[in-house]
Amino acid sequence: MSKILIGRYVPGNSLVYKMDPRGKLLVTILFIFIIFLANNWVTYAIITIFSFLAVAATKLKAKVFWDGVKPLIWLILFTSVLQLFFTTGGQIYWNWIIFTISSYGITNAIYIFIRFTLIILISTVMTVTTMPLEIADAMEWILTPLKYVKVPIDKIALVMSIALRFVPTLFDETLKIMNAQRSRGADFNNGGLIKRAKAITPLLVPLFINSLETAVDLSTAMESRGYRDGANRTRYRILKWSKYDLYELAYFIILVLLLLVFRTK
Amino acid sequence: MTIKKLLKIDLQGLVMLGIVIAMKIILGRFSFGPAIVKVGLGFIGSVMLGYLFGPIWGAVGGCISDLVSSALFGNQGGFFIGFTLTAMAGPFIYGLFFYQKPVKIWRIIVATLLVTLIVNIGMNTLWVHFLYGMNLKAALIQRAPKELIVPWIQMFIDYFVLQAISRVKIKK
Repeated sequence: MSKILIGRYVPGNSLVYKMDPRGKLLVTILFIFIIFLANNWVTYAIITIFSFLAVAATKLKAKVFWDGVKPLIWLILFTSVLQLFFTTGGQIYWNWIIFTISSYGITNAIYIFIRFTLIILISTVMTVTTMPLEIADAMEWILTPLKYVKVPIDKIALVMSIALRFVPTLFDETLKIMNAQRSRGADFNNGGLIKRAKAITPLLVPLFINSLETAVDLSTAMESRGYRDGANRTRYRILKWSKYDLYELAYFIILVLLLLVFRTK
Repeated sequence: MTIKKLLKIDLQGLVMLGIVIAMKIILGRFSFGPAIVKVGLGFIGSVMLGYLFGPIWGAVGGCISDLVSSALFGNQGGFFIGFTLTAMAGPFIYGLFFYQKPVKIWRIIVATLLVTLIVNIGMNTLWVHFLYGMNLKAALIQRAPKELIVPWIQMFIDYFVLQAISRVKIKK
């Protein structure tokens, strides 16, 4: 349970750690789109090799990445199997009522399995090598263009950092309230449906009241320290691009070019 | 209710929004029920966002909750803008039905069914289809059993939660 406090960040000192979180986040987001470029064996092989290059560059143990895939492994397998049965086309090997196994189905199932796994791997590289606060800063940077369509980015950034800051605090609070209610006989894990739905109230109401009080206190404190809505403010935490981000850029461009060259038109 | 009124929010509201988002993220980590149908509690956070902040700030809150939880725990299944939209759509619909309105059973039923249909069955299936190139029919079949059972459980919980929260609001 203490895992929740630090997120999924695993400390390390390899190349990937020195890269700017903005670059890492952009590549992670774009990775999902360039994986669509892969549509034959060669391109899937290329993208698999590149993903494992990224994983290797973190210099972390394989277990870290296995932990990322493990909770989803049944979903991935189930999805692939469903895909196997419901894709028709090509040579048909086996057919029973609505289930068919065809050559298209088999290749598609394998492609989906690879896609699923690679997307999770690359996302894991991102979250494991970057601290949550840095990821939040990177997200804020990516959202900045929305300023031009009048989205209040400064407010959103404020809410984001408050949420990020209060997740661990509220989590401790939640466990405390649960234990306090348990010590007086509350039961969160047994009973019928309605009883369990009702059992959530003695957890939520104190949590909610605490949150209201925190919000009042925090906003008063912020205002007394000179926070004015919409006023121009400076930044204390600043992200800086470095030469390491060029490696990332090269990685991404080479990957896209290779995929474009080898994909079937 | 005018759009302008819906957009207005003061500092205390913003701070509260941040904290309710944190609550939603934490609730999302809990689930209850037998192993066959685990019900995550994240939807309670969506209901609270919609009920307390209305459709627009609720949707913003949904967006931020998705971003922050991905930053903290990593997004299961990868960073994908579609799932952020999904996280926004839930509180938006709840906001349309619950914001500054008395808690009524029909509202809960209609809102939950709409969220299930549009968000969980519609949008999420579509994203899985885009993201993994999965056959739409296969994606629907995979999702159907859960979405047939869970909404009814959610309605029960929504009712108790909304009643409880509306009591707190009056006391403030």
